[in-house]
Amino acid sequence: MPVSLNYIFKRTMLSILVILGVIVFSYLLLMLTPGDPAVKWAGNPRGPGAVKAIELARVELGLDKPLYVQIANFIYNFLTGNLGLSIAYKIPVSQVVISGFTATLELILFTYLFSIPLGVWLGLYSAIKRGSRIDSFIQSLSIVLASTPTFWLGSLILLASNTFTGFLPYGRVSSKLVLSTGFTPITGFYLLDSLIQGNIPVFIDALVRIIPPALAISVYPIGVLARVTRTLIAEALLEDYVRAAVAWGIKRETIIRQFVLRSIIPPVIQISGLSFVYSLVDAMVVETVVFGREGLGSILLDSLHKADFRVTLALAVYLTAFYIIVNTLVDIVQATIDPRIRL
Amino acid sequence: MTLPSLYSRIMRRNLRRTRFKIGVALTTIIVILSIIAPLIAPYPSEGYGYVPANASERKLLPPSTQFPFGTDALGRDLFSRVLTGTRTAVIQAVSVILISLLVGMIIGVCAAYFKGLIEVTLNYFTELFMAVPSIVIALFLRLTIGQGLHVVIISLVIAWWAWYSRIAYVYAKSIVELEYVTLAKLSGLSALKIIPRHVIRNIFQALTVQAISDLGSALLEASAINFMGLGLPPGSPEWGVILYEAITERGIEAFLFSPWLVVFPGLFIFMTTLGFSLIADPLREDLDPRLRRRWKLWF
Repeated sequence: MPVSLNYIFKRTMLSILVILGVIVFSYLLLMLTPGDPAVKWAGNPRGPGAVKAIELARVELGLDKPLYVQIANFIYNFLTGNLGLSIAYKIPVSQVVISGFTATLELILFTYLFSIPLGVWLGLYSAIKRGSRIDSFIQSLSIVLASTPTFWLGSLILLASNTFTGFLPYGRVSSKLVLSTGFTPITGFYLLDSLIQGNIPVFIDALVRIIPPALAISVYPIGVLARVTRTLIAEALLEDYVRAAVAWGIKRETIIRQFVLRSIIPPVIQISGLSFVYSLVDAMVVETVVFGREGLGSILLDSLHKADFRVTLALAVYLTAFYIIVNTLVDIVQATIDPRIRL
Repeated sequence: MTLPSLYSRIMRRNLRRTRFKIGVALTTIIVILSIIAPLIAPYPSEGYGYVPANASERKLLPPSTQFPFGTDALGRDLFSRVLTGTRTAVIQAVSVILISLLVGMIIGVCAAYFKGLIEVTLNYFTELFMAVPSIVIALFLRLTIGQGLHVVIISLVIAWWAWYSRIAYVYAKSIVELEYVTLAKLSGLSALKIIPRHVIRNIFQALTVQAISDLGSALLEASAINFMGLGLPPGSPEWGVILYEAITERGIEAFLFSPWLVVFPGLFIFMTTLGFSLIADPLREDLDPRLRRRWKLWF
């Protein structure tokens, strides 16, 4: 059954408004925080070229024009991806963010590939075995998992891997291997790229290096999903249709698979969507500092060291936009599956 | 309901549960440590980041009886630093949650109470700030106003208040429709009186439980910000900063050779977060009647 276009339209319009609001907010951040916005936009330059760089930034931002023109200009530049050159990398800002984004997205998608099924399975198992020792163990485990600091766990995994296997999962892929096999990234997702090119050694290397950070990031979604799923299943088991099914003598497995699991899909999607974005921040913290991978984390650190305000603002806007787009999609998917939400 | 009676009810109902007991024990230890840490730390000044005079003789010593957690790269006693960090951790988590709760509650309740344009506008801002990533805000503030505790707290509050605003709005929305609120309005009470007396008082319990369960996440995010070097300056008594110094400043090899620098501060973050979560978990069950319902066994 198709979702009403009205709902999709309203939801999308709100999201677009919010994204525009975030761009305005980031511009106001640039204007209202202490310091000359032009100096900030030029990246706190020093040396002989400084005056010229600041003048250029002043023209770029249009600081001589009225505020609403500046903001309109800024929004236009953001939407067309024309934010000038990054101070730290000397290439266009949008390119910088996108290249880091694919790397981080690969890590998170890989993480969610196994953490959603695992979390749901843990929750399901614990709900079916409710009241037992296993149930209380899984519940405690999920609390412990959700309160583990990711960067700490990541460091411990790195340490353990180095101590027990002698292998240091540092970086995204071994550069020696890349040179010797002639691997060239196409999409930026190394796992996918190496499979497309049939480059099995690089694929295995990238896989081995993506597993430790993915394990570190996975604790939060697994913990949260296990708890939420347990509650959802517990509620679903109380529904009348389950009692009816039991009375009809339908097999337990069939009831769970056909009725109960199906009924919890929409809320599970929603929770996954919310925690997906939380994991993005987790991944930014873990991937570069602990595991030395390129990605949004390394961009964050580089713009910190080079005072790159352009990339910082672009990160703020693009990450927020990403969050909003993911959640809008989740809402629309949910409305497609669950007719109650459309009302 | 007043806070002390709520507190005693919570304690009576939950103290039989093992997990809640562990949570209370952990949190009590952490809170006591945060108060008395400078008194019991063996090297109090090193806890605040001062490098000792004989630093060159005691760099990166492994844990021993003299230095229970070992020493860091500048020869400071890690045990003192970690203990002193307890106070920063508690301050960070509590102040972020309190400020966000206050701001979010007021905005959410106002959105529910004053309908029309105010509701739309406030909800729009709530929606907007729910999406803002705290770590990027922290980076921006770090670049403009420098390092310090205020950077951590402000950036987290910017990213967090909207969640409380949303929760307060949802709860308050159902309350402002009730008859006694209408009656209060009809009898001529001003909004300034109705909102705290009739609306906030009824949503306060739900918001408090949410706030307690968020304390742990606030600490995790605050230490993540410090771990990236975006918050407090190096040498500060904060667990994220200690980890940052161990890993970021001196490279990954140093950490591999002196793992105690990473293990102990992280363990404290973990224990504190766990304590908060274990306390909050049964509270949330109490709050949500659907969770409290006995599970019938027809399945």
